[in-house]
Amino acid sequence: MDLLLTDEEKMLRHTAREFLEAECPTTLVREMETDAKGYPPLLWRKVAELGWQGMALPEKYGGQDLPLVYVGLILQEAGRALVPLPLHSTVAAALTIASEGTEAQRQAVLPAVAGGESVLTWAFTEEDPRFLSETIRTHAVGDGEHFVINGRKLFVDNFVAADQCLVACRTAPASQGLGGLSLFLVDTASPGLSQIPLVTLAKDKQSEVVFDNVRVSRSSLIGPLHHGGPIIERMLERATVLLCAQMLGATRKDAEMAIEYAKYRVAFGQPIGAFQSIQHLCADMIMWIDGGELLTYEALWKMDQGLRASVEVSQAKAFCNEKCEAVVRLSQMVHGGIGFMMEFDLHLWFRRVSAWTMRLGTSFEHRARIAHALIDSPGRVILGRSVPVEAEA
Amino acid sequence: MDFGYSPQQEALRRDVRAFIAEHLTPEVVDEMEGASEGFGVGRSIARGPLVSQLFKKIGERGWLGISYPKEYGGQDGDRMSQYIVEEEFARVNIAVGLAGSGAPAILAAGTEEQKRYFIPKLISGEFSFALGFTEPQAGADLASLQCRAVREGDEYVINGQKMYTSAAHTATHIYLMARTNVDVPKHQGISIFLVPMDTPGITVRPLWTIQNQPRAPLGTTYGAYRTNETFFDDVRVSRTTLLGAENQGWGVGSMGLNLDRVGAARYLISVRRDEDIVNWVKEHRFGGYSPADDPAIRDKIAELWIEAQVCRLMTMRSMSIVEHGGNFTYEGSAEKVWSPEHGVRTSEAITQMLGPYGQLLNGSPRAVEKGIFAHNLMGAFQSGINHGSVQVMRDQVARRGLGLPSGRRPSGPRQ
Repeated sequence: MDLLLTDEEKMLRHTAREFLEAECPTTLVREMETDAKGYPPLLWRKVAELGWQGMALPEKYGGQDLPLVYVGLILQEAGRALVPLPLHSTVAAALTIASEGTEAQRQAVLPAVAGGESVLTWAFTEEDPRFLSETIRTHAVGDGEHFVINGRKLFVDNFVAADQCLVACRTAPASQGLGGLSLFLVDTASPGLSQIPLVTLAKDKQSEVVFDNVRVSRSSLIGPLHHGGPIIERMLERATVLLCAQMLGATRKDAEMAIEYAKYRVAFGQPIGAFQSIQHLCADMIMWIDGGELLTYEALWKMDQGLRASVEVSQAKAFCNEKCEAVVRLSQMVHGGIGFMMEFDLHLWFRRVSAWTMRLGTSFEHRARIAHALIDSPGRVILGRSVPVEAEA
Repeated sequence: MDFGYSPQQEALRRDVRAFIAEHLTPEVVDEMEGASEGFGVGRSIARGPLVSQLFKKIGERGWLGISYPKEYGGQDGDRMSQYIVEEEFARVNIAVGLAGSGAPAILAAGTEEQKRYFIPKLISGEFSFALGFTEPQAGADLASLQCRAVREGDEYVINGQKMYTSAAHTATHIYLMARTNVDVPKHQGISIFLVPMDTPGITVRPLWTIQNQPRAPLGTTYGAYRTNETFFDDVRVSRTTLLGAENQGWGVGSMGLNLDRVGAARYLISVRRDEDIVNWVKEHRFGGYSPADDPAIRDKIAELWIEAQVCRLMTMRSMSIVEHGGNFTYEGSAEKVWSPEHGVRTSEAITQMLGPYGQLLNGSPRAVEKGIFAHNLMGAFQSGINHGSVQVMRDQVARRGLGLPSGRRPSGPRQ
């Protein structure tokens, strides 16, 4: 038990921070808000040289085989800098292919990801936005050596930048639990595939994606047919905890800006940071970020040990959703009117953190999962011991 | 980072649990309930013959003072092992740890003679300290304390009054903060004395808490039914009772308070009701109604559970910092804000889960779990007041942790 970062972990964080401070000024963040693809390909290749996309991928596919905790540390720094790169969606999809794909699928996808030549994303949510498998209606129907996909996916991150997309489809009727779902790797240039850009709070690239008789080969099926549910669940869990890391990095930076501002902004004859009303807000902000970070690191660490971390992931996301939103709101409060101005950078963090709280499960949904694990199984609970977890109800 | 326990630590936890299952008989629990001062954070539970016997057995296992040096009666073990033992015993309302005992401060600031004299007996339980900090006019602004210690040759003569000296009626000694210089800024004229309670001139008077009549069940957060005020009337003590240098008591005391907070006791008093309410709703109904089926209650329980995990993780972080040499900047203070406030949120939320049953105190017909949730409502907020209030702790996070400037403060009366 040692909750502090090791020297190696600190070094990784430090290197990433220095790199992004040099490479990612807020002018770039602003510029990419109106860019068609939303990211600079040159920077994508540069971070591949640092090994970011392939950090937790196997070495034989050009990765570094490092723990997921390291990916979390990188995404924290990516969030801190708000770097406009499709890192989160690419890593979440690539890790799923690495753990669930066939050798041929891995060979076909992962080296290009690790090399910074490819962008990935994944598509789960549909019109019913709940974080549940029974909301999936997009269906894939077998047709000889192919499947034909029809349906609509919403809130697909970086679809306009992505080369390939992991798509959760219904291949059998929804029965109990996770049954009837399959995961396909779909080329985003496939005929019949189109996207409608959504205009978002974060001004990031999210799409509604329409599948109109999109034909994919049988070899693009990731994992078992009809029983892709657990794979999808694990992909979403990883994506969720990594999003927490990204949110926390951005939120900490946002809080630091408020704290710095409070040190030099003078009112009533002294820096506003000398007033206890402001000091106590700032103390709460840091305490909440620390709390979210501890929950997130624990979830990542458990995943690295090969342990189930569903409850830990939900703990982290529910907590981060509410506390990160509160922190960026309080930071706006400390800044006063200037935070509302387009030319002042603070809103870049405020808008993104807020948007990320709404993705990959709301506080209510995650708490419902936790309550289910705590209450609906027999036996007494003890804090710090694993809670019995059943498959999703 | 590493969030797991080593196999040796897991084995230790199993051993302690097995020991508890074997030795914590209903007779022992009865004795504890009869003699209880309520579970605070220290070792203030009065020991009857069965509990004394139990402590002897715990000592024989080498589970007392694990992380203390062998030469002072400890085991030269690691802090995390000590934590594990503390946690398991605290869950059955037995305080084996040395939080609130004064031992951490004596180990850090005491003379060799003091360490040899006090620490082994604090570990064994032969000695115990009452804490003499607060005064009628010095609470959060502790440095304004007025209790005087005047040097006369090789002795000090102490006069003054201390409040909330909880264990003073059972303790062998008091850890006393007194003013030794009135001509310097208030923080620079304070010293700490380790005073035997049987010194002539000390008078202890009870102060009854809101947990008295009926008394809180074991395990209640700040369930103590009694504390004290302690008067010092020309109390003469030897120079050797001074802990650390004369007039350096503020630093010694702050450091001691920080060390005293780290551990299982402070953490558990903030989270035990979270476990209790989950376990209770799983097994009980009011007639045909189960609160476990109410979506609003389920949502609240999950929210509290997450917060409780943050309490646990902040404690583990503090433990990690201690293992790395104890260089706290703001983490201990942050934990001392988060955990007590969480304990209060839980206690209050539970009242709204239990509705009218939430009012019923220990001994009442239809009381839920001996009324522990009702008693906890009365006690939980105390943990946000004692040992540095949450407001003072937030000041420390902001100033020490975040580097925010000290503001103008209203000037208080000179002592």
